[in-house]
Amino acid sequence: MTTASSFPDKVPVVIAGGGPVGLSLAALLARHGVACLVLEADASYCEGSRAICISRRSQEILGWVGADRPLVDKGLSWVGGRSYFQGTEVLHFKMPSEPTERFAPMVNIQQYYIEQYAHAAAARIGGVDVRWSARVTAVRAQAAGVDVDFETADGATHSVHTDWLVACDGGRSTVREQLGLQLEGMQYEGRYVIVDIEQDTQRAVERLAWFDPPSNPGSTILMHRQPDNVWRIDYQVADHEDPVEAVKPENVLPRVQAHLDMIGETAPWKPLWISIYNAKCLTLPSYRHGRVLFAGDAAHLVPIFGVRGLNSGLDDAGNLAWKLALVQQGHASQALLDSYSVERVLATRENIAYGAKSTEFMAPPHHGFALMREAALRLATVAPSVRPLINPRQSAPIEYAGSPLNQPERAGAFAGGAHAGLPAPEASLQTLQGPGHLTALFGTCFVALYFSSEPDVPATLQQFAGTGRAGAAALRLVRVAAQGAANADTVVDALGQAWQRYDAAEGTLYLIRPDGYVMGRWRDAAASPAPITAALARVLTETPHE
Amino acid sequence: MSEAQLELTYTALAECIGRVGENKTSLLLATLALDLLSQQADAKTALAHILQAERLANT
Repeated sequence: MTTASSFPDKVPVVIAGGGPVGLSLAALLARHGVACLVLEADASYCEGSRAICISRRSQEILGWVGADRPLVDKGLSWVGGRSYFQGTEVLHFKMPSEPTERFAPMVNIQQYYIEQYAHAAAARIGGVDVRWSARVTAVRAQAAGVDVDFETADGATHSVHTDWLVACDGGRSTVREQLGLQLEGMQYEGRYVIVDIEQDTQRAVERLAWFDPPSNPGSTILMHRQPDNVWRIDYQVADHEDPVEAVKPENVLPRVQAHLDMIGETAPWKPLWISIYNAKCLTLPSYRHGRVLFAGDAAHLVPIFGVRGLNSGLDDAGNLAWKLALVQQGHASQALLDSYSVERVLATRENIAYGAKSTEFMAPPHHGFALMREAALRLATVAPSVRPLINPRQSAPIEYAGSPLNQPERAGAFAGGAHAGLPAPEASLQTLQGPGHLTALFGTCFVALYFSSEPDVPATLQQFAGTGRAGAAALRLVRVAAQGAANADTVVDALGQAWQRYDAAEGTLYLIRPDGYVMGRWRDAAASPAPITAALARVLTETPHE
Repeated sequence: MSEAQLELTYTALAECIGRVGENKTSLLLATLALDLLSQQADAKTALAHILQAERLANT
C-alpha cells in the first residue's frame, strides 16, 4: 500500500482517469518507455459492464501491450448478427472474417475486464503508478508544464507537476471543465434502458435486434452475450416515459421477462445492472490544448449504436502514445502532437456521422425517421435490396485522410493496396516463430515493409534500420518474401495475401507508423531512398543521412 | 442503386417528411408514390406495388 506522502512531485505524464482508455494509454506509454501517474477518482475498476464490444482494431492495440490474450481467452468472439421485425428475420449480417485471422471482428467482454487487463499489462511493463480514489480538483496549465491538484480518499490535497497531462476522465471530464472547454454538437432525445442480467444460455454469440417484437410491441430490443453467463439487453423506452421511472426494477424486469419468454430463454435469471442512455454526438474541436491532451469520452461522445465509444477511445490511445513518447523523449517536436488532434478529431467526425445514421434508425429523432423505419422494416420482409438500411454499421478503422503525416504518392504508381493514411492491411504469413500475422509486427516502432524476393536488402535501405534510435523512434526493416524461409528480418508470404493486399511488386516499400497506419509507399525505394528520409523527417527531429 | 445511395435517399425522404409535418405527410407520400408508379412499365407492375404496400401496411 502506497502512502499519501509518497506521491511524486513531478512526473513526465499524468493521466487523469483510470478507465479503459487511461489505463491502456498508461500501458502503451510504458511500452514506449515513458513513466506516468494515473489518477482515478473511483476506488477501483468500473461498476457495471458498460462498453462491451471490442473491435478487431482495439484487440490489435491491446495486443501491443500483451493485453490481447486474456481478452480473447475470456471474451466471446462474434462475426455477425440478426435483426427481426415482429416475428420475421429481416437481416443476417456478417463482418469481414477469415479462418486464419489474428482476431475476430468483435469480442464481447465487460469493461471492467478491459480495465483489469490494461492495468495488469501496465504493471508488468513497469513505470506506471496507478492511484485509486485520487480525484483531480484543479489544473493549472503553463507553457512549460501543468500543475495538477488532486484529492485523496483521506481528504488530503496534493499537487504534482507534469510535462504532459492527458485527460481520460470521461464524459464529465474535470480537466475539460478546468480548462473552460465545452463539447460541441447535439444529442438525441430517444432513450434506451440498458440491463445486464445473469442467465445460463446456449445461444450463439451474435448481435441480436428485435424491432416491434411481440414481447414489447413498439419497442426495439438489442441483446449481446457476455462472459460469465451475462446478457446485455438494451431496449428503447417510449418518448412519454419518465427516465427515472424507466430504470426502476418494477418497470424493467417484466419487460425483460416477456422478452426472454418470447425467445425461449427459460433458465432462471437475475438483474445485475440497470442504466439509461441517450445518443450524443459531441466533440471538442481540438484534442490538444498546449500541454493538455484529451482522449476517449473526455474528448468526444458518440452514439452507442455501432460500438464506437470505447473503441474510438482505444484508437485515441494508440494514436497518441507513440507521438507523446517521441516528443517526451526528444525525438520529435511538439508539433507532432497536433497531428494527434487533427487525425482523431477527423475520426470522431466520421464516427459521429456513422453513429448519427445508426441512431436515426435505432432511435428515430422525429416523425419522418420513425415513419421511414416502419416502412423499411416492412419492406425488408420482401425486398432484400432495402435490408442494408437495417445494418448496424459496426465500428471500423478510419482513414486519416489529409493527415500532415501522410506522404505523397507518385501518380499511377499503385492500383490497389493501402495508401497513406489507411490502416496497414492484415495478412497471414510465416515468421521465424511459425505461422503469424503481419499486424503483429506493429505497435512498437516504425516498420518498413520491403517486398522483395532477393535475400539481400540493399544498403540504401539498411541505413534506415541502423541509426541506433530506440523505442518508438526506431525503424524495423522487414523483408516480405513471396517464398523461402523466414528469419528474424524476413517473413514469408506463402499465401500471397500480403503481396496482393499491398499491391506489391519487386522492390515495393511501405513505411508503417508505430500505430499500424500507412505513412507512405514507394515502388523504387532502394534506388531512390530520399522520400523515405523526408518521410521520417516529418516526424523525427533527426533522420539518417543518405 | 448502391447501399450508400439508398441510405442517402432514405435520409432525404425522412428529413423531407419531417419538414412538411405530419398533416401533409400523406399528401407528400401519395404524390411521390404516384410519380414513381407512373414511371413503371405497365399498370400490372404498378398495381403489384400498390397491393404489396397495402399488405405490408396492414402487418
